[in-house]
Amino acid sequence: MNRGTHPHRLALPAGILVAVAFVAPMAWMFLASFKSIEGIFSLPPRWIPDFTYVDNYTKLLSQNWVFLVNSIIVTLGATLLCMVLSLPAAFGLVNFKFRGREFLADWILSTRMMPPIAAGVPLYIIFNTIGLLDTVWALIVVYAGFNIPFAVWVSMSFFRRVPRETIEAAMLEGCSWAQIFTKVALPLTRSGIATVATFVFIFAWNELLLALFLTTRAAKTFPVVISSFVTNSMTFWEMIAASSVIQAIPPIIFTLLMQRHIVSGLTMGAVKD
Amino acid sequence: MRFSVVDSIPGSRPKSQWDRESRERLIFLTPAVAYLFLLTVFPFLYSLYLSLYQVKLTRMDRKVFVGFDNYANLLTDSLFLHACLNIGIITGISIVIEIIFGFLAAKIFFALRFSRAGGILRSLSILPMMITPICIGLIFSYILNPTLGIANYLIKGAGLPPPGWLSDQTFALFTISLINSWQWTPFMMLLMLAGLMSIPTEHYEAAEVEGARWWHVARAIEIPAIKSVVLVGVILRVIDNLRFFDIVYVTTRGGPGASTEVVTLFAYKQDYQYFQIGYGSAAAVVILAMSIVITTFAAGYLRRAEGE
Repeated sequence: MNRGTHPHRLALPAGILVAVAFVAPMAWMFLASFKSIEGIFSLPPRWIPDFTYVDNYTKLLSQNWVFLVNSIIVTLGATLLCMVLSLPAAFGLVNFKFRGREFLADWILSTRMMPPIAAGVPLYIIFNTIGLLDTVWALIVVYAGFNIPFAVWVSMSFFRRVPRETIEAAMLEGCSWAQIFTKVALPLTRSGIATVATFVFIFAWNELLLALFLTTRAAKTFPVVISSFVTNSMTFWEMIAASSVIQAIPPIIFTLLMQRHIVSGLTMGAVKD
Repeated sequence: MRFSVVDSIPGSRPKSQWDRESRERLIFLTPAVAYLFLLTVFPFLYSLYLSLYQVKLTRMDRKVFVGFDNYANLLTDSLFLHACLNIGIITGISIVIEIIFGFLAAKIFFALRFSRAGGILRSLSILPMMITPICIGLIFSYILNPTLGIANYLIKGAGLPPPGWLSDQTFALFTISLINSWQWTPFMMLLMLAGLMSIPTEHYEAAEVEGARWWHVARAIEIPAIKSVVLVGVILRVIDNLRFFDIVYVTTRGGPGASTEVVTLFAYKQDYQYFQIGYGSAAAVVILAMSIVITTFAAGYLRRAEGE
């Protein structure tokens, strides 16, 4: 039987096949980013490009670096705002006993069902009225809000692991809730909070639909720019290849760093890994 | 002696202390709740209001109350009905593929769970699901280009007829489902792997002693162990698929014809291409209603399955 430390002899080749199936398409785009327009679609294909050819990247970034900066500002700002709002709420929902606590937690979770498309037009009108349309502020505010249900719900599962006795001991020493939160709960749940923040970061980094609604020129994010390389008349493949590689770097790094927490993160704690 | 300060009822405390503490509690909870209310409930109510009007984004001042006409029109709009059908097909095909291939991959990486190479291969295999969906869509639209793409080059090289992938009216919806399931099979795989890991080794040993074949093992031991995690995965995937937009937006824009039109893209086009925000809002409200119905139904089903 193929158990224990000696897997079936076909297991490793099969595993390699699976990994190739998932990596090869991405690798093909990565290789394309080092090819000229002619090389991208040459037949027969040019398998290995000249890696010193970086014109696509220099052309892309010289014209669009502003939008990459937008993306970074929006993503970091939204992640920070989302955590500042969500962590105290999650802590409160775990530690305070009050009537309607369960209902409030369920209500927060249920707002995740809200499809972004149902908020696009109202948010457009609101931000247009207050003059924040096409600013990074609008996207920071919106992305932070849309990730609150996720951040609260998953953070709650981490705050629940803080031992009761620790909190009671702090209370007996006369600590206020604010002190318990900042001096006891946050340090004890550091790694969990980092995981939550990373997810919020990636969700915000990947978002397209609301960015299409809320930005027109100045505040465009990188995904909006990438999607604009596909036009009705032609598709700028060399730009798409280079921008896709840049866009994929943060998700790839974070996926490799926190793969242990991906299942519990994406199922909002419903499945432990 | 233990003081259960946390559990104490606020009312039993001296009044001044209760006031101070309740104020402190409010500071913890109010910002997030108020913020969430402003960003989800308020826009939703606004959408509901707009959906009762005929109104253009470019001429907001001229709106005409039309009652439920927008909803009535949606029900007879063949494009919208087509979009609903398409998203149902995409969801169905994707989830079936994700479960089948996810299970095979989970079995492979379960067999390799003690090997270092297995760990590396598994890490590589889960990369697609966190990558920006528009990049995934563009990667495949590059690979699957009907005349110059690498896929059809290899298929022709093997002497087979090359399919039109995204440009063929009958094939495009299937191709979109394939791209979608390629991105999310790793998620199902990880869920099932977590389920397989939870099986006590004695169960496998007992099966071996009894001389059980692999399908006996799968049916009696493995499938029961992964059933509930798969159910969670399916529910999340159904909800996510209702907002499926990015991949279609960068690959086909709903075409050729209306063959890959999906509901979120439909609402987006009404709002932003035709500026008919009353009609678009009605479509968005219907999408929200569908997610609520599906989620409620699925949550009830999940609770019953877990109760067993």
